[in-house]
Amino acid sequence: MNLLRLVIDNLVRNPMRTILTSLATMIMVLVVTGVFSILSFLAAATTEKAENMKGIVSERWQIPSQMPWSYAASLKEGAPYQPGDLKVAPKDSMTWSFYGGSTDSNPKNRSVNTILFAFCLEPQALLTMMDDLDTLKGPPRKDLEASVAKLEQNRIGIILGRERAKSLGKAVGDRFTVYSFNYKDINLEFEVVGLFPPGRYDLSSAIRGDYLQSSLDAWSREHNGQLHPMAGKSLNLVWLRLKDQKIFSQVSDQILTNPSFTSPSVKFETASSGVGTFLQAYRDLIWGMQWLLAPAILFTLSLVISNSISINVRERRTEFAVLKVLGFRPWQILLLVLLEALLVGVTSGLVSAGGTYLLVNNVMGGLRFPIAFFGSFYIPEAAWWWGVAIGGGTAFVGSVFPAWSARTVKVAEVFAKVA
Amino acid sequence: MTQLFAVLTFFWNHRPETLAVALLAVAGLGLISRVPVAYSAMNLVVRWWTVSLTIFAFVLVIGLLIVMLAFVNGMYALTKTSGQPGNVIILADGATDESFSNLAITDVSDIANQPGIVRVDNAPLVSRETYVIVNQPIIDGAEGRPKRRFLQVRGVDNPEISATVHGLKLMPESRWFSDAGVGPLPGAPIDAAPAVEIVLGNGIARELGLDRKPEVRAKAKDAERLVPGDTFALNNRTWLVVGVLESSGGTYDSEVWGKQSLLGPMFGKDNYSTLVIRTKDAATAEQMRDFFANKDDKGYTKAKLNAIVETKYFEGLSQTNVQFLIGAVIVAVFTAVGGIFGVMNTMFAAISQRTRDIGVLRLLGFRRSQILVSFLLESMLLAIIGGALGCAIGCFADGWTANSIVSGGPGGGGGKFVVLKMQVDAAVLSTGMLLALTMGFFGGLIPSISAMRLTALDALR
Amino acid sequence: MNPEYVRVLHVHKWFRRGSEQVDVLNDLTLQVAEGEFVGLMGPSGSGKTTLLNLIAGLDRPTSGEVWVKDQCISAMSEGQLAGWRTRGIGFVFQFYHLLPVLSAYRNVEMPLLLLPLTAAERKERVLTALDLVGLADRVHHRPGQLSGGQQQRVGIARAIVTDPDLIVADEPTGDLDAKSAEEILALLCELKTSLNKTIVMVTHDPRAAARADRVVHLEKGQLVTEPTPISAAM
Repeated sequence: MNLLRLVIDNLVRNPMRTILTSLATMIMVLVVTGVFSILSFLAAATTEKAENMKGIVSERWQIPSQMPWSYAASLKEGAPYQPGDLKVAPKDSMTWSFYGGSTDSNPKNRSVNTILFAFCLEPQALLTMMDDLDTLKGPPRKDLEASVAKLEQNRIGIILGRERAKSLGKAVGDRFTVYSFNYKDINLEFEVVGLFPPGRYDLSSAIRGDYLQSSLDAWSREHNGQLHPMAGKSLNLVWLRLKDQKIFSQVSDQILTNPSFTSPSVKFETASSGVGTFLQAYRDLIWGMQWLLAPAILFTLSLVISNSISINVRERRTEFAVLKVLGFRPWQILLLVLLEALLVGVTSGLVSAGGTYLLVNNVMGGLRFPIAFFGSFYIPEAAWWWGVAIGGGTAFVGSVFPAWSARTVKVAEVFAKVA
Repeated sequence: MTQLFAVLTFFWNHRPETLAVALLAVAGLGLISRVPVAYSAMNLVVRWWTVSLTIFAFVLVIGLLIVMLAFVNGMYALTKTSGQPGNVIILADGATDESFSNLAITDVSDIANQPGIVRVDNAPLVSRETYVIVNQPIIDGAEGRPKRRFLQVRGVDNPEISATVHGLKLMPESRWFSDAGVGPLPGAPIDAAPAVEIVLGNGIARELGLDRKPEVRAKAKDAERLVPGDTFALNNRTWLVVGVLESSGGTYDSEVWGKQSLLGPMFGKDNYSTLVIRTKDAATAEQMRDFFANKDDKGYTKAKLNAIVETKYFEGLSQTNVQFLIGAVIVAVFTAVGGIFGVMNTMFAAISQRTRDIGVLRLLGFRRSQILVSFLLESMLLAIIGGALGCAIGCFADGWTANSIVSGGPGGGGGKFVVLKMQVDAAVLSTGMLLALTMGFFGGLIPSISAMRLTALDALR
Repeated sequence: MNPEYVRVLHVHKWFRRGSEQVDVLNDLTLQVAEGEFVGLMGPSGSGKTTLLNLIAGLDRPTSGEVWVKDQCISAMSEGQLAGWRTRGIGFVFQFYHLLPVLSAYRNVEMPLLLLPLTAAERKERVLTALDLVGLADRVHHRPGQLSGGQQQRVGIARAIVTDPDLIVADEPTGDLDAKSAEEILALLCELKTSLNKTIVMVTHDPRAAARADRVVHLEKGQLVTEPTPISAAM
């Protein structure tokens, strides 16, 4: 298109201004992309699904949820206790206990580089129940399957996230001991049997649930049958996957009415609702990011673009007048200015969002923003078009006014001043 | 690198002073420049459209920074004021936080009677507490409010003593809950189940008040908050507010207080979680901490305990503050860099419009450096106006209440859900102005240098 | 067909300056025949440029009518005027007003971008126009690399590239040295005689005016001497 050629010529004419505007756009798009990534992830995590929903059984009142391990067997099946009750298949359930500790025996030396938090679960659940891992495909899936198989063979096996392995300085095959701070005196020895695929679980680690439970029993035997303080509290959550809303409410009824779960009593809620409750504490923070931070940045960006285009238009008034004399229509001149802004905005937005996507996901390994139990965030693929939309949108808003004033340049007035 | 960090920390800790020095430096530049400041100022007036756009961008960037910092400031205020000097928190051995701690009843009595604890009327100043975080479903709540929340419930034995230990006071028209922890619901039939009597922290009284439906709020004694006499439902019981605590600015503002012997078992925690003892001063507190933690095996041995000086405990909860502060600074730096590019645009345009002026000034005998300073001042002037307006707008955030969380980070155990008051103070405002000045300086520098390098003849051609 | 190619009929033009009304053109009537080269002279503020802008459709009269060929351009909308200008008129400026970032070729091509032409057709026309003004060897130079006279030739090439019948020129030699001015005037005469263009030229320079078929003097918004009607020679 001929107009497009003109647009590019004009952008090249004042490279400094084009570059400055484009840099400003890139920086702002970067920040907004980061904010949107976090918001969209949280929104997705708290959106109720209609089918294949995951539900969480936890202690009814207290946070953190601590249930006796004796609950596990029945809860894993959806707590059927009457004839005709539904029974959840093993592949659709998972028990979680949290084991935390440090590779350094001295509590004073605890640091980010020695700390480890592990999910204690059934090895197979890693493949069938863990968010994102259950949908893993291709070679990473094969790798994980191999690691899980090794974990099933090896009672003291541990699968580490890549970041975690790096900070602990451990590789597959290494053995080490962890000194726990939430299970006092339950210091466990581990052997690394595999790594999580890169991404969401970079900082996590997983061990076998039965390893932790049998270690508690062993502690009792060594202490003349005395119970470990954490005995009776070593089951934190039970996950169940249910096909649809109807089955969900039926299983929910089973769990809530089952007389075995009264001390402590339990509750059953969808994963998204559970996450939502945790996020309540961050409600105002999220509100601020969504309604103050992002709009303020977008607005600032529009102002910067508007400023740059206004300057541009004012400098080129004579030129627009000449174009009018040559027969260019006002709307063509408007379009010229708009296109110029849009080209800069869209290109910078795309480059910035795309760059952020590649940089954060592939180089930085996620955006560190500890909120609730989420550690780091990934830029979704949608960021590519966010960039285009943010860059284009702000460029449009910023250039409408200057473009209109370029459109309305009065030829006679411009030349009256010149001649 | 560490030196740079030390220097930055120094400036950060002395922000108002740094701002004063920076402003003096700007004023100094105005004196050296010789090009009348009025010339710069008038030029801003003439290009009012571009200038107002630029100033507006400053206002937004600075205003945003102020709001973010006010939030973090509110969190720091919370963790700083929650602890009482002289208090020591005693938890079970191995418990990293109150919610994981279980103290045996027998141990508690023994601990309370150790020497070194302040006594009033021959009773030790010891607060025996069971702290539970309760997952509260909000039944019949208002639109747009959460469906569930984590309610922090603290059951205490003797509320007067506990309040004294924590330095808390009841608001007027408030009373403590009865010794049984329950009482008759006003206006209810005699044989009705008694209500759970509780006292609310100032912040949570407001949060719970906002959960009510608009029509309920319209008829309430106070539409904004729960006051003595109001009720809410939890665990199939009616909970009657008998008192509200005066705002202490600390984490206790976000707690619900009731009778330990009632609330502990109700939520599945029969034991005490926490014992807070009052000693006569901060130094004694350190000694008592060492004693109860059995440091060097020379202290208390009847039970294995974890003891923490209370002020230290709350300082330890500032991990989240640091994270948020870092987040705010990162966002501010990025937006500021974006803003700098905007200012550069404006200043480059200003200079290309006034090329002839520069030529004339040079012919009149002004030195290059004076031209540089003149344009730099113009951009700083922009920054000062925009920054001041941004600060003024940011001031509205002062006193806003917001929900947040304070925690000791990974390994530190559970966090506390808090209602905080955002605080704009001199340090925050200075940060805003300093950022504005920095943006003005860097945004103006390169264009000014390019103006300086123009030769008179080129400029006049 | 009316031999009077341009007809300015009883035109008034006034501006408001504050509360004061400034009459620029006062009941002015002027007719220019097809193929005629008219010089427009007069002191500053006499309304020459305003008159030229009216003829070129850049401005509207307060009252009265301006006809070019068989169209009343004073009654056209902005959009119609812009379309008409592309084909109907070529404008030559005192300060050339070339776009500094574009080569001579691209500058001349500019108005053609508005016409439904293929790239090959445009190229042919641009090269013809540049050849006609004698700049065939300067096609890819930018305005900054050309002398004033050469820049004005590019300006003229741009004015004639759409092949309009009417060319208006606002002091086309005002910014040129005597030799270049002479060449530009010769070029304009050439356009008139060989391509039968109608030319209206505002000028201060008596030597330039001498090249015109007829010179019209303006003073205080009115023609000073009645133009001698030329016989309907066509």
